[in-house]
Amino acid sequence: MANETKSTAAEAVSGFFKAVGGFFSGFGTAVVKGDIFVKLSLLWWGAGYVRRKQFVKAFIMTALEAAVILFTIFFASQYVPKFGTLGTVKAEMVFNIDTMKNEFNDYDHSFMILLFSLFSFVVWFVAIVVWMKNMTSVYKLQLMEENGEHINTFKEDIKLYIGEKFHITLLALPVLGIVVFTIIPILLLVFVAFTNYDQQHMPPSELFTWVGFSNFITLFGGGGLTATFGYSFVRVLGWTLVWAFFSTITTYIGGILLSLLLNSAKTRLPKFWRLLFVITIAVPQFVSLLLVRNFFADNGIVNTICSNIHLTGFLQDIGLVSTNHIPFLSAPGWAHVMIIIINIWVGVPYQMLIATGVLMNIPEDQLESAKMDGAKPFQIFTKITMPYMLFITGPALVTDFVKNINNFNVIYLLTQDVYTTTNQALANSQAQEVDLLVTWLFRLTQDYYNYKMASVIGIVVFIICAVFTLVAFNYMIGGDKEGTYQ
Amino acid sequence: MKVKKMKDKRTSTIIMHNVLIGVLAVIWLVPIVWLVCTSFSEYTGINTSTFFPQKWSIANYVKLFHPDTVAQFPQWFLNTFIVACVNCVISTLFVLMVAYATSIMRFPMRKPLMNIAVILNLFPGMLSMIAVYFVLKTFSLTNSYAGLIMVYSASSGLGYLIAKGFFDTVPRALCEAARIDGCSEARIFLQMVIPMSRPIVVYTVISSFLAPWMDFVFAKMILNAGVSSKYTVAIGLYKMLDKSLINEYFTQFCAGGVLVSIPISILFMIMQKFYVEGITGGAVKG
Amino acid sequence: MRKKLLSMLLCATMVATMTTGCGDSSGDNNGGSSDSKGSSETTGGQGSNAGGGSDETVKLTLWGAEEDQDYLKEVVSKFESAYSDQKFDIQIGVESESTAKDTVLTDIEAAADVYSFASDQLADLVRAGALAALDDVSEVLTKAEKTLDDVKSANAPDSIEAASQNGKMYGFPTGGANTYFLYYDSSVISEEDAKTWDSLLAAASKGKKKVGMTLNSGWYNASFFYGAGFKTGLNEDGTTTMDWNGKSADGIEGVDVVKSMLDITSNPAFMPVPDGQISNAIASGDLCAVISGAWDSGNAEKVWGDGYAATKLPTYTLGKKQIQMAPAYGYKFEAVNAYSKNTGWAVLLAEFISNEESQKLHFDMKQQPPTNLNVLASDAIKQDKAIAAATSEGDIGVIQAVGQKYWDTTKTFGEMIAKGKIKAKDNKAIQKALDNLVEGVTAPLS
Repeated sequence: MANETKSTAAEAVSGFFKAVGGFFSGFGTAVVKGDIFVKLSLLWWGAGYVRRKQFVKAFIMTALEAAVILFTIFFASQYVPKFGTLGTVKAEMVFNIDTMKNEFNDYDHSFMILLFSLFSFVVWFVAIVVWMKNMTSVYKLQLMEENGEHINTFKEDIKLYIGEKFHITLLALPVLGIVVFTIIPILLLVFVAFTNYDQQHMPPSELFTWVGFSNFITLFGGGGLTATFGYSFVRVLGWTLVWAFFSTITTYIGGILLSLLLNSAKTRLPKFWRLLFVITIAVPQFVSLLLVRNFFADNGIVNTICSNIHLTGFLQDIGLVSTNHIPFLSAPGWAHVMIIIINIWVGVPYQMLIATGVLMNIPEDQLESAKMDGAKPFQIFTKITMPYMLFITGPALVTDFVKNINNFNVIYLLTQDVYTTTNQALANSQAQEVDLLVTWLFRLTQDYYNYKMASVIGIVVFIICAVFTLVAFNYMIGGDKEGTYQ
Repeated sequence: MKVKKMKDKRTSTIIMHNVLIGVLAVIWLVPIVWLVCTSFSEYTGINTSTFFPQKWSIANYVKLFHPDTVAQFPQWFLNTFIVACVNCVISTLFVLMVAYATSIMRFPMRKPLMNIAVILNLFPGMLSMIAVYFVLKTFSLTNSYAGLIMVYSASSGLGYLIAKGFFDTVPRALCEAARIDGCSEARIFLQMVIPMSRPIVVYTVISSFLAPWMDFVFAKMILNAGVSSKYTVAIGLYKMLDKSLINEYFTQFCAGGVLVSIPISILFMIMQKFYVEGITGGAVKG
Repeated sequence: MRKKLLSMLLCATMVATMTTGCGDSSGDNNGGSSDSKGSSETTGGQGSNAGGGSDETVKLTLWGAEEDQDYLKEVVSKFESAYSDQKFDIQIGVESESTAKDTVLTDIEAAADVYSFASDQLADLVRAGALAALDDVSEVLTKAEKTLDDVKSANAPDSIEAASQNGKMYGFPTGGANTYFLYYDSSVISEEDAKTWDSLLAAASKGKKKVGMTLNSGWYNASFFYGAGFKTGLNEDGTTTMDWNGKSADGIEGVDVVKSMLDITSNPAFMPVPDGQISNAIASGDLCAVISGAWDSGNAEKVWGDGYAATKLPTYTLGKKQIQMAPAYGYKFEAVNAYSKNTGWAVLLAEFISNEESQKLHFDMKQQPPTNLNVLASDAIKQDKAIAAATSEGDIGVIQAVGQKYWDTTKTFGEMIAKGKIKAKDNKAIQKALDNLVEGVTAPLS
């Protein structure tokens, strides 16, 4: 099965390159074999369409070309030339008493240079693709004309976009949104990982510049006095993986057990019970988790109750607690366990809903025949229910694991402002025992403006998730089920 | 059928079974009960000595509807509602459009695009936040609901997988037949596939409607002018737990939490049915 | 009807697609979208849109702490009537002076034109270029018929010194005695008991109550070290200096200070209160004495009623000596954003908030200790117990000049002491912890 997946993956890759290759050769053919108007289209995008009397298209392409040129002259030229240095002129200001305003020199803003250069690159990339594609299509028009085929009117062209080219209509806006709000930001921060953008170099007053791989070296243990980054990274990563593993497994199994319990024939009023559990997840997390955090605070209500029933005293006697309260969310160990338990509280009802849906579809005959054979409930669970669940929800389990690696809400809401580390090495790099990589990253940007290290950590998180997903999908689950069900 | 089976069981195991569920339900509900009780407390800070408030009152709810400079609950509610509605429309359209294109249609770039989507989903969202902020700032969209809506909806197309899974179960033969009859893809999408996919449409609508009610990270980042009347419910309530405010506002926070939870719970109840159908629909029907 | 709408929408989408790419086939559907932006803004930050004539409405944003909102509203309306020939649109946002730096530095250009901040943030804000140097813009004060020197002479000299760095002044002082001292319940603790930690803890345990203090914050726990003559300082590059792991100017070892602290924290009558939880702890009624600042006077008075009292910090026992704790002493300033679009008016507004009349109003409304010398001299101030305790620390207080790296590291150090992670007998461990502390605090900024 694994081989099969690999081969399809390989096919996808080779198919992709074939498509790219075809694209280039199509462009080459068009340039070489096209008539004068096609060749002219290299310079004037609309030329080929004018020759075939597609004037609207010609106008659109010309306008597009003009737009790209104007963009390059008036916008990109301000930023792209400075991309190599990320700016050299620092901000200076002079107060002008007449206008009552501060007047600035024409200073460089490193972040804007980075952002707009990147933006220009994306625009140019798209423009080149459009330009090359345009060549092949005007050449196609030439061929069609030579063969005496019908050439579409503009109306007919438009009609294609609700017909066989409907996918372009559908995908245009969503893809545009993803490019601007996901791809550009991600690329930007990949670049930031190679700069010294931190509190010492913050625009607009200061400039930052390229530093190569030194941030990566810092994270993996190099780099003098800030060596604690390496130390902290190992510990935070460890807890991130432990957390992702346990939070995924506990809620998954808990969800299945709860759903079996609720859907058992012995349950009275199953709908009512299910409603009660669902209520807990219907309350927004920032309400329920902030509440639970106060619930378990060092001087919170649970601690009061525990000390009233002498549980605190008992724990002190057996040496589990050294303070006069139970440090549910304020000491390492305790906090780790509590966070996973609280996550069970918020996570199990979700999994219960999913499991309910899946379990209702277990082939009835399998269960019946197992019962006939005298299988015990536990055997049915391990031999039939679990394999079936795993088969159906296996891929979801992998994505859940990745989601938990990036599970910001639970950790942040439960520990922000209440947890203080007692590990001085961690404190020196602003990490805590209960931090996930993402919460550490978040604190580095929000409180310490250490964008360069945050970006490096972000890249590492991505690599971890990518490797895990790839391995899991290739060796544990096996491929694309899409075809099977259609 | 169920009745028959139950008769065979001994009543005691049935009682034990239901008691067990009851105990679990109680554990699950303790914090929620505490939330509701505390919201009716007369005291404004955190009650640390007793589970139930010493004195009951509805003052917190009354205060919520008489805004001061911190708590402007009705305004927040309205803000969030507007953002949620617009986001709901855009996100739903995007998700369904992407899902249809990738599920029903076949075109050369389909697989590469889907692979890119998988990769993009692996990047932590927190990382791109700061860059998104500066992108919005260049368009002067920070501190505006338009910016907030864009953040929630612009990339929503990436969350197309569940809907795609559902569309995958639409029999392909049906679409082929329609195409042979001369239907345009647009008509197949709008008049055939969408009506057949009610669970997933409802699921998408409700879940995108709920997003702005739950998020506080992005909202806090984008609405950063510190003007309370512009907040969404999530940031407004979150700020009530600020160190300097928690003693005055904790019980109001609880009351606000209860009020927000009611409509969300109702939507959630409606959604859960479709959630199950939508999420497992693709897999199970196969 | 619905169908029509949908088809219209579809048309719109299609047109968008057509214009974004030639759209002959796949791949290129994420087209240009570009050109509109080149003209929309000449970004890169020329703030020089000239012509701020007086007939134009001046837009300003002002940030202040939550509890000051109604006070600020009143001051703003007074400001507007003071300059009635100019139209204003002033928005007031909520941002506590204790967290101003965090929010401002995220995006200086988006921060308020005028905001208040606590003096410990000055160095970071100056280094990030977030504050307008008042000397450079002082000309504008002629509109208020003042000079910068008038402002300087009207306020306590220490506050002006704390607002200055490298010979330039960066904020108008608005609040003084931003410090902490001892609140106590005089029905449990006598005035004499309140003078030393030993007697304080003894009296508390007799009364079955506790004494609370925040240890996991470098603002509070430094008072033990400052009292023993240890120092912190700030270099020009933003790094911090610290000598707590060695011997102080008074000849006291840092290790011995930590031992004294551990003696106090190991006393069952002592309660370490996490940072930010003090108000809660007072309200719970378990405490008979607590170290906190003027902002808690209302809380303490409510809980202890007639027993409510305040005095300066106690002394602690080190060997055979009694050492007077020395609190971090700070001020609140009104800042002008260097990147404000209306610097001149922002300066005038900030100055207005710090003038005598406003400070008096601030005290009347919120019991904010002033820095203005005339207000300080008034009778009402002298009768306020909390302010009296705070100002009595003027001569022992230390203006805390530290950099970014100081806070997290000292926070952890305080937490270690509060949790008893190091033992008073273990000299080596204490020395190691102090060495780590100093290394972390003095590390170069990253």
